[in-house]
Amino acid sequence: MSSLVIFGLLIALMLTGMPISIALGLTVLSFLFFMTSVPIESVALKLFTGIEKFEIMAIPFFILAGNFLTHGGVARRMIEFARTMIGHWAGGLGIAGTMAAALFSAVSGSSPATVVAIGSIMLPAMLAIGYPKRFGAGIIVTGGALGNLIPPSIIMVIYAVSTSGATYFGPNGERVASASVGQLFMAGMVPGLILAVMLSATTWYRAWKNNYPRIPKATWGERWRAFVDSSWGIFLIVVVLGGIYLGWFTPTEAAAMSAVYAFLIEMFIYKDLNWKAVPKVLLASANMSAMILYIVTNAVLFSFLMTSEQIPQTMAAWITGSGINWITFLLLVNLLLLLAGNVMEPSSIVLIMAPILFPIAVKLGIDPVHFGIIIVVNMEIGMCHPPVGLNLYVASGIAKMGITELSIAVLPWLITLLIFLVMITYIPEISLWLPRTLGMLR
Amino acid sequence: MKLFLRILDRFEEILIATLIAAATIVIFLAVVHRYGTGISFLYPYLIQIHFSWAQELCIYMFVWMAKFGAAYGVRTGIHVGVDVLVLMLKPAYKKATILFGLMGGAFFTFVVGTMGLKFVLGLAQTDQTSPDLEIPSWIVYLCVPLGSYLMCFRFLQVAYSFWHTGELPHHNESEVEGLEALEVRATGGGELGVRQ
Repeated sequence: MSSLVIFGLLIALMLTGMPISIALGLTVLSFLFFMTSVPIESVALKLFTGIEKFEIMAIPFFILAGNFLTHGGVARRMIEFARTMIGHWAGGLGIAGTMAAALFSAVSGSSPATVVAIGSIMLPAMLAIGYPKRFGAGIIVTGGALGNLIPPSIIMVIYAVSTSGATYFGPNGERVASASVGQLFMAGMVPGLILAVMLSATTWYRAWKNNYPRIPKATWGERWRAFVDSSWGIFLIVVVLGGIYLGWFTPTEAAAMSAVYAFLIEMFIYKDLNWKAVPKVLLASANMSAMILYIVTNAVLFSFLMTSEQIPQTMAAWITGSGINWITFLLLVNLLLLLAGNVMEPSSIVLIMAPILFPIAVKLGIDPVHFGIIIVVNMEIGMCHPPVGLNLYVASGIAKMGITELSIAVLPWLITLLIFLVMITYIPEISLWLPRTLGMLR
Repeated sequence: MKLFLRILDRFEEILIATLIAAATIVIFLAVVHRYGTGISFLYPYLIQIHFSWAQELCIYMFVWMAKFGAAYGVRTGIHVGVDVLVLMLKPAYKKATILFGLMGGAFFTFVVGTMGLKFVLGLAQTDQTSPDLEIPSWIVYLCVPLGSYLMCFRFLQVAYSFWHTGELPHHNESEVEGLEALEVRATGGGELGVRQ
């Protein structure tokens, strides 16, 4: 009963178009005020302690690093590297775009930032050699989607944070630890590479079938120069992932290190950033981070309310009692998340849904890390389709195309993404193999 | 009044930009310090400096940044909601609904600010301090009432200008992410060495 009231109120408030964070907060307030005896003062404390965790602080650091890199020339150098390697294939410039997006997202951690950085350089180049606009735009939108999956990823940090802190029980009543940021990062590697290959294959097939123009093959000398030139940026991937894996830094420290590193290479090595732009980058990053942290604060309040009303536990008991197995459950989860992806942006979805779905998933014996990767892939797809796909909006600004036309343009790659989602959902080994091999996971 | 508002705007911007920069530097230095003490000739100098407070300071700086940044975000229109339904409404209903949303925001932040104020006033009676930095807790928590009241003010400000002009601040993702910095270089494929 109370769960109906809570969700009804939340959905009603959200439909008025008010910020999601405010809708969450008002739901909690009115519920506490009218329907329970939980002392309202405990809320004020939660509003502070909600984000008082060091893990969450990785989010602003990664956003800052991403913004520094977007402002500079790392993206251009990565594109040049990818172009010299595979540019001469059918659709080569497009595949180079996807590969450059994969590389860039591995340093920036953000999907829209990748679309901007790669798209605004790559799209004019693709049009210049005679690719149709729709073809180029489709590559850019979906290439950016790799940003969430290839570590470091802000969505993974949010997932780890929103599911940690409570005790969860597996199918046989044993305690299950929630996924750590480091485990999720490692788990995202293999799926990210597979997705990059699948998207490239789609690009290649369409370019080959329609016989789009090709560009001449680069020499090994050009390839080497392009590699050396982009190696400062590529080294950042090694620092972040290697540093976390070898235990040099915690994920948050790695994020701070990559922000400083990004600043240093853009400022002193590539010299693409000037001092005048620094305050602007800082302010834009602070703005974005504060928005996400504000949703986190209110989502913590919301999940506090749900836990005190026993909603996730009741739902978990109901689902396990109704005989739904993990296969059906994951199908439902995917549908629910894709549906939510139609109207909300990823961090809010994860913050609201993950605390509810996670206990059920664990109860059904689904690995926390695998479940996290499924959620991340769903969020990527949500960013690429209307009405609120953020990548679409960003790309429509770059390509000067309407959302409707762009939505048709991304279809071939969107279908590839959906096939990939099915693979990720039902073959846990894709996500779990690498962290297990590295001994980060049982 | 205009001058006061401009000072407030600048203060808000400088505060959050400084906090994110400072937090990054603090964590960077703490990590460098940790590995620096491993180098033998630096050890005698570095061991005297303590960085155990770095994490706590970083958290507090980010919490302050989050509270004031959220207020700044209302001004820049970065707090997005679900607007599919609202966009389909008739203009008169649409305006009323958007105003309702803004007032909801003002109401929520006002309530939170007031609860936070009561909480801080209560804390100020005690001599509770933070674990590592040992600053009085009430100063740390002061960001809740200050940030929330500022955010409430920003909601009212946006609602006021929306009432009069019908315009909302709009956050453009591709603009802040630095598109203008890249557009110059993106003129055609020539630079990429693309030959036809």
